[in-house]
Amino acid sequence: MIFFQGKKSRVIEYLFTIWVIFTLNFFLPRTMPGDPFLFISADEEGEEVAQFSEEQRNYYMAYYGLDRPLYSQYFSYFSDLSKGYLGYSLYYNQPVTIILLHRLPWTLCLVMTAVILSTVIGIVLGGFCAVYADRWEDRLLYFMLIAISEIPAFLVGLVLLFFFAAGMGLFPLSGAMTHFSGYDGFMEKTGDILHHAALPVIALTLTRISGIFLLTRSSIITVLTKTYIKTARAKGISGQRIFIKHIFRNAMLPIVTRVFLSLGSLVGGAILVENVFAYPGLGKLMRDAVMMHDYPLIQGIFLMVTISVLSANFIADLVYKKLDPRISDAAAADGH
Amino acid sequence: MMMPGKYLTFINRFSKTGQTGLIIVGIVFFMAIFAPLISVHSHKLSSGPPLSSPNGEHILGTDELGVDLWAQICFGSRISLVIGMGTALLAGSCGGLIGVLAAYSGGMTDRILMRIIDIITVLPDLPVMIVLAAFFGPGLINIIIVLSLFSWVATARIVRSQVLQLKEQLYIKSAETYGAGTWYLMKRHFLPEIFPLVAVSMIRLTGKAIVAEAGLSFLGLGDPASGSWGLIIHHATSFTGIYYTNFWKWWLIAPWIALTLMVSSLAFISRDFERFADPRMDRRKNRYQKQ
Amino acid sequence: MNKVKILGSIFLIMLISFIFYVNSNKKREEPENRKPIINSPFEVDTIRLPGGDWGYPSPYAHYPRGPGGFKMCLIFDSLLERDEKGLIPWLAVNYEIQDNGKKFLFTLRDGVKWHNGKPLTMEDVKFSLLYASKHPMTWSYIFNKIETVEITDKNKVLVIVTNPGPVMLYNLGRTRIIPRHIWEKVNVPKEFTATEAVTGCGPYRLTEYSKEHGTYRFEAFKDYWGPAQRVKTLEFIPVSESILAFEKGEIDMSGLPTDILPRFLNDTRYKIVKSPGFWGYRLLFNMGETSSLKDKKVRQAISYGIDLDELVAKIARGAAIPGSAGILPPDHVMYNPFVMSYSRNLKIAKGLLSKAGYDLLNDKGLRKNKAGKVLSFQVLCSGREVRMVQILKERLFEIGININIQSVDGKTRDARVRNHEYQMAITGHGGWGADPDYLKIRFGHDFSRSNSPSVSGLPGYNNDTLNLLFHQQHMEMNKEKRRKIVFRIQEMLAEDVPDLPLFYTTGFTVFRPEKYNGWEFMFDHHSLAHSKLSYLEKKIRK
Repeated sequence: MIFFQGKKSRVIEYLFTIWVIFTLNFFLPRTMPGDPFLFISADEEGEEVAQFSEEQRNYYMAYYGLDRPLYSQYFSYFSDLSKGYLGYSLYYNQPVTIILLHRLPWTLCLVMTAVILSTVIGIVLGGFCAVYADRWEDRLLYFMLIAISEIPAFLVGLVLLFFFAAGMGLFPLSGAMTHFSGYDGFMEKTGDILHHAALPVIALTLTRISGIFLLTRSSIITVLTKTYIKTARAKGISGQRIFIKHIFRNAMLPIVTRVFLSLGSLVGGAILVENVFAYPGLGKLMRDAVMMHDYPLIQGIFLMVTISVLSANFIADLVYKKLDPRISDAAAADGH
Repeated sequence: MMMPGKYLTFINRFSKTGQTGLIIVGIVFFMAIFAPLISVHSHKLSSGPPLSSPNGEHILGTDELGVDLWAQICFGSRISLVIGMGTALLAGSCGGLIGVLAAYSGGMTDRILMRIIDIITVLPDLPVMIVLAAFFGPGLINIIIVLSLFSWVATARIVRSQVLQLKEQLYIKSAETYGAGTWYLMKRHFLPEIFPLVAVSMIRLTGKAIVAEAGLSFLGLGDPASGSWGLIIHHATSFTGIYYTNFWKWWLIAPWIALTLMVSSLAFISRDFERFADPRMDRRKNRYQKQ
Repeated sequence: MNKVKILGSIFLIMLISFIFYVNSNKKREEPENRKPIINSPFEVDTIRLPGGDWGYPSPYAHYPRGPGGFKMCLIFDSLLERDEKGLIPWLAVNYEIQDNGKKFLFTLRDGVKWHNGKPLTMEDVKFSLLYASKHPMTWSYIFNKIETVEITDKNKVLVIVTNPGPVMLYNLGRTRIIPRHIWEKVNVPKEFTATEAVTGCGPYRLTEYSKEHGTYRFEAFKDYWGPAQRVKTLEFIPVSESILAFEKGEIDMSGLPTDILPRFLNDTRYKIVKSPGFWGYRLLFNMGETSSLKDKKVRQAISYGIDLDELVAKIARGAAIPGSAGILPPDHVMYNPFVMSYSRNLKIAKGLLSKAGYDLLNDKGLRKNKAGKVLSFQVLCSGREVRMVQILKERLFEIGININIQSVDGKTRDARVRNHEYQMAITGHGGWGADPDYLKIRFGHDFSRSNSPSVSGLPGYNNDTLNLLFHQQHMEMNKEKRRKIVFRIQEMLAEDVPDLPLFYTTGFTVFRPEKYNGWEFMFDHHSLAHSKLSYLEKKIRK
């Protein structure tokens, strides 16, 4: 990638990328047909909507500066951004930054737990299978993991929801915590939050294990065939030491890169899964914001997601470089 | 002209799971093509009492309008296949072309294309798809376009790096020095090497597109008139009180199984294809076994 | 490779124990705070209702969609209130309409206090009305509609409106009164979400609100001027499946789909109430220049062709009332039961189409006229109504009309309805129980100048007799005379079918009468939980 090239042109290219992303970020939501202040029909049966009069609608358009020409809005968007101000939500009546800060922890809680769990399980199972490659344990696990991993997380979530939450009543159907329950202490509260997060995390984890699993398995198999392992074996170094010292360390490289690079796609999965479980994270907010045509909020969410994906890529690059100093530009580009 | 025996050996090269996948995808194709023949009832009009459980008349039961679910599944397979393959073809061919273009021409073109690829990679796909889907409006073609906009990137990357590698190969370099033209090089050396890669990534794209369409439909942003599997799931899950009734046992499970089987089968097939395209995988494994 | 095995098993054990740990939590008993507190002045301690985030409950910050406004009404009182029969005096002990609805004289109640202990003054009332006229509240009734407000006596306030009519009483009466000492400094009311923003003089105070979770807690205000609160605390908690939550006792009231009714019927612990139908779907016709829908006979034929009972049975699962062609729903105070009714009749429908000139059939069995124009329409709807349109398509095909479903997302549909970019469209919304003046806004001619977009503004429709009647009912102060005019309007609308109400939903609500039985409706609204009076003592209503 581009981060470690001292060349000026690379930096310019990088800035250009960011500018394009910010610009897309501004124009994409505004290209949607419809109007944030037009409420004719209700979204749900029995729902009450305040039908704004034409006068009232114009008042709000002016209030939020949406009646100004697009280029002028575009400039003020950039000047706001440079001040770190993400705007004011049209629908939620709150600064976008505050809304995001309230929602982010819940999504992070899901995503991070899922990443950690899936990575650990994937590595363990992958290592196991690499060692027992082509025995029945390997084949069974391989088959199962591939089969599960291809099912999108939200479908897994749906089944979990129907069987374990609705059918057996083992888990709550939705939400992130029990409200007004008067917790008896920190442990109870944590337990409750974990209980609510369990199914979404399982759904996200299950579908992510296989990527790590396959990578671990194949890279360990590859390392096992390398000559230096054979040499080490011939020298009589114990199996465990070989595993930890050589095999594992060498296999870690692609895994770490993979984990960071896959964060972006995880966001997509999380959006759907949060909608299945009505989890109060960014995913649900994103859908609602799109439904409401809340431009500043959509922009804010996009910005946050793209920035986190960018920084995940950046970290991936850093880690990659740290682990393998020989890294060349081409290899990093193929890292995906 | 291939002999039937050749097909058999080709199929034999697949693993067990790959073969199962082929059979399932074959069945889905069959369902899609002969949908009007194998489903007795209409997939759009009601043909029985609403929400009846599976019985002799309606083998998968009916939904809340009394529309036969088996018919909906059969016709839904058409939508899934059209979207999957449409996206795969569009994204695969565009991605392949762009990849070759970037690698072959190098310099500024390559840089610009790579920047675009970077941007699209960084943009979170689902949120942008949601916005784009709202912008383009529902409709099969629009959904295919939206999905393709994001899917060509992966293919382009793979193809580009493959072409870059090839360019460095001695035989290509020597062919170049002997004055081989671009078109000749393409036809003789690049395309045969790239084609399997593109084919494999197209199979992957098919699965991904089907999943993405299902996701959009599930959120209520797909084409509500299409009747895809994702849409059936959307209707089922948005039915009030679905959790307390037994309705979900046929209404939700049927499209769920259809989607899951289809997507996993495609995955197994693509895995086998990857193996064909990169035979080193096999060799490595065997060498290790010998130790 | 023992280490790997060990690691693997440790992990599995962790996972399993995590799940068990989490399950063991499940068995925890219901929170203790359910038992009634003796010696409490309240009938019940806590009522829990399904929540969800509908915005900060200030008159400006709650969301335009959803029940946020009703939560706001618990905190803020208005001059008049709505009970099951009609408007009742509230902060105003009485009112007088003068000068044919140009002036309204309200006499205010004494001894009303804000939640912060300060007394409510006449200045507050004057300020509130003028402020709401300057800055539209989310539920705005009087934006730009007030000329002046004068304090004529120590407890009398005279409001002069720009656009006279009896409906202004309803609009002024519903406008929330806000404390001047808090709001006078506020220039951007939508962004004012400090804690003072929810200081009102209503029966409840907001004590907790979480936007991301969608929880609210309201507590009874001690110094409330009005009828004593029967419920001490109101809590709104988010539930995705309210029936399950109701069964578990997490919430005390829930909507009930028809299919679940049997679960609660014949059980004395539960009481099931059917809501009045004030929320409905309608089919809009674009009667613009070239449209064949301009012909009344075609619209009538469509009305005869559609089976409203089928829609009720299949789409609403029986929990609805078929639409009345006179627009006002049967539960409306001014409903005219004798309007023309279009029960499904294919023969009449076909006859009407033939009369309209569509007496030929093309090869697909669709009707066309001599000029070759085929009766085929696009029906614009959002994803949720696709199924409804599928049924319409099936039925209308039987009279030779083709329907193409054109489904877009909700916002796009609304925008296209507003800009008249449709042939037929379906929209669903509430407010059908409101003052019949809304008929004027929907079907009256000068909607370009009217300020409500309620909106459709039916393109191409103009009926001068109706316009006159609309004007008359708008100005008529005598209730009985006005009712007669509104009856006549409904008859004419039913004859003309400028748009066709499909059905009004009448959901079921279930609650435990043993726990709390004070629920009541508002005369024009369909939800028990939304009425403020549901939580108050019934006696003093003066």
